[in-house]
Amino acid sequence: MTSESAIGSLLIDRPQDGIFEVARRAFTDPEIFALEQKYIFEALWTFVGLETQIPRANDFLTTHIGSQPVLLTRKSDGSVGCFLNTCRHRGTIVCPFKHGRQKFHVCRYHGWAYDSDGRNTAVTEEADGQYPESFRDKNRDLIPVARLESYRGLIFASLSPSVPPLEEYLGQAAHFIDLIVDQSPVGQVEFVPGASSYTFDANWKLQFENGLDYYHFNSTHSSYVDILKNRAVSSNADLPREDSAERVGQGSFSFPHGHAVNWSIKQVSAYGRPLSNDQENLNRLTEQFGRDRVKWMLRQRNLTIFPSLQLIDISSSQLRTWRPLAPDKTEMTSHCIAPVGESAESRRMRIRGYEDFFNPSGLATSDDNVMYEYCQTGYVAEAGNTLGYLRGLGSDPVHDGPHANEVGITPDEYAFGAPTFGGETNFHAGYREWHRLLLNAGQKI
Amino acid sequence: MSHDLSSISAAIYREARLLDQKSWKEWLLMYEEDAVYWAPGWLNEYDLVDDPDRQVSLIYHTNRGQLAERISRIQSRKSITALPLPRTVHVISNVHFLDEKQSPALVSASFVVHVFDPRTAREHCHFGHYEFLFSLSGESPTIASKKIILANDRIPTVVDFYSL
Ligand code: FES
Ligand SMILES: [Fe+2]
Repeated sequence: MTSESAIGSLLIDRPQDGIFEVARRAFTDPEIFALEQKYIFEALWTFVGLETQIPRANDFLTTHIGSQPVLLTRKSDGSVGCFLNTCRHRGTIVCPFKHGRQKFHVCRYHGWAYDSDGRNTAVTEEADGQYPESFRDKNRDLIPVARLESYRGLIFASLSPSVPPLEEYLGQAAHFIDLIVDQSPVGQVEFVPGASSYTFDANWKLQFENGLDYYHFNSTHSSYVDILKNRAVSSNADLPREDSAERVGQGSFSFPHGHAVNWSIKQVSAYGRPLSNDQENLNRLTEQFGRDRVKWMLRQRNLTIFPSLQLIDISSSQLRTWRPLAPDKTEMTSHCIAPVGESAESRRMRIRGYEDFFNPSGLATSDDNVMYEYCQTGYVAEAGNTLGYLRGLGSDPVHDGPHANEVGITPDEYAFGAPTFGGETNFHAGYREWHRLLLNAGQKI
Repeated sequence: MSHDLSSISAAIYREARLLDQKSWKEWLLMYEEDAVYWAPGWLNEYDLVDDPDRQVSLIYHTNRGQLAERISRIQSRKSITALPLPRTVHVISNVHFLDEKQSPALVSASFVVHVFDPRTAREHCHFGHYEFLFSLSGESPTIASKKIILANDRIPTVVDFYSL
């Protein structure tokens, strides 16, 4: 059984001594996996969908919080509902469809019916059922999740009543959601139809790390980097540049609750971006939000919301979530996220960029997926803790500077370095939160 | 020159063999310069993506050069997905004209691609349907477009042109 001291040694966190280590069994141990499911994935806020996926009354979609199936609906009063997707009669999945629109969800097993508000509207042949007296007073409605809130059209749910309010949970990481949503003339984001799902045979934390990992790009994706170079030669597109006074490099901000964002500043984009391609929208945005904000909208940003959401805004834009299936198996869901109301040309460019880069069929993500599996099999070696989280520890942590000021934030940690910096201290916030939650769990078991 | 189903079937089998043999160069030459290579995504349980400019596909290429990029990525021996490359076996059947009179000819086939990954000793299948447009003006049929309808689209780790 996982003892408290076994949990304690999962993370050695002594940056002042130049040490930050995560134990290998954090990636392989089934008991830790079980704790993570219960005390992390089913205990925090989970992204469950976009408001624009269920715009009209009775629209619905199904997804998961941790391992638990949920049904997200647009209720009759226009608000959003989220319920455990399991029949009150004998537990059947009530709604087996990915998404759609229907007023009633009728359980196929014995026909109990529920409406979009989660209310039980019919118990089949109830009068003939010789139910005990007490049945009449029993609540038969679908069980709502404990908490449900939206931020800028992103809907989050939690099975735990004790999570902080969503805005508090997101904290200043929310500024980086704003930088995506504000690109829309109507302040809304949507998923481009055609989501995909895939699996890799590795621990979910490999995906968590990779979204924060700029260090791997040139080696893991060297074949893709070659392709980009070739394309840059063959294209004479007049791509927008950063101000020549701007120092190129890459950096990160870390926030409470384990969130972090990576960003980079390049003088010349190696490839175009949907936003930079739409001068009319750019002018409007500059007028509305000012130069600094638009500058940040055009910069590459990878946002990680702990524990299972990443929002990438690069040559295209992606919202991805993951669902751990086993210590060594993870299911990914990937969407192309886009500002509502962008031009048809920008949208086309966004889609092509997305297909080019992301998913197991793309030219970059496919390499990452294979890399995670190499890590997973490597972690089985009993070779002690790795040296994987030390880049960036050599300098004093920076807490102010032009970058944070421009975004208008005061992050817990701020790192910036050369274009080849590849700082790893931005992994620390997530691992500290992960460890804190597991230690709490250790006290409960 | 008129082509019957057997010459088109032979072309489809040849394409599969070239992929399994990793004869990329010859494989690429079966495609026309402006060939469309399209693996649409699924919108829901029943419907496929049908507008690549407004919906997301798994792969959507509109010329041979984009396929050549995928080949160069593998041949550079820099792509982690290709070190080592999986072994594949394409099994194709049910070849038939969807529209005999149309030119180029619209042909459908069913496929199963068995994939064995020597890296992990793991094996899986991709299966679904192909829809080809074959140009019949030359000596042998050439591919004007290939649409790959992947039925099992929860994809294990990687999928690429050689495993579809
Ligand atoms: S289990 Fe749903 S009606 Fe019986
Ligand atoms: Fe990557």
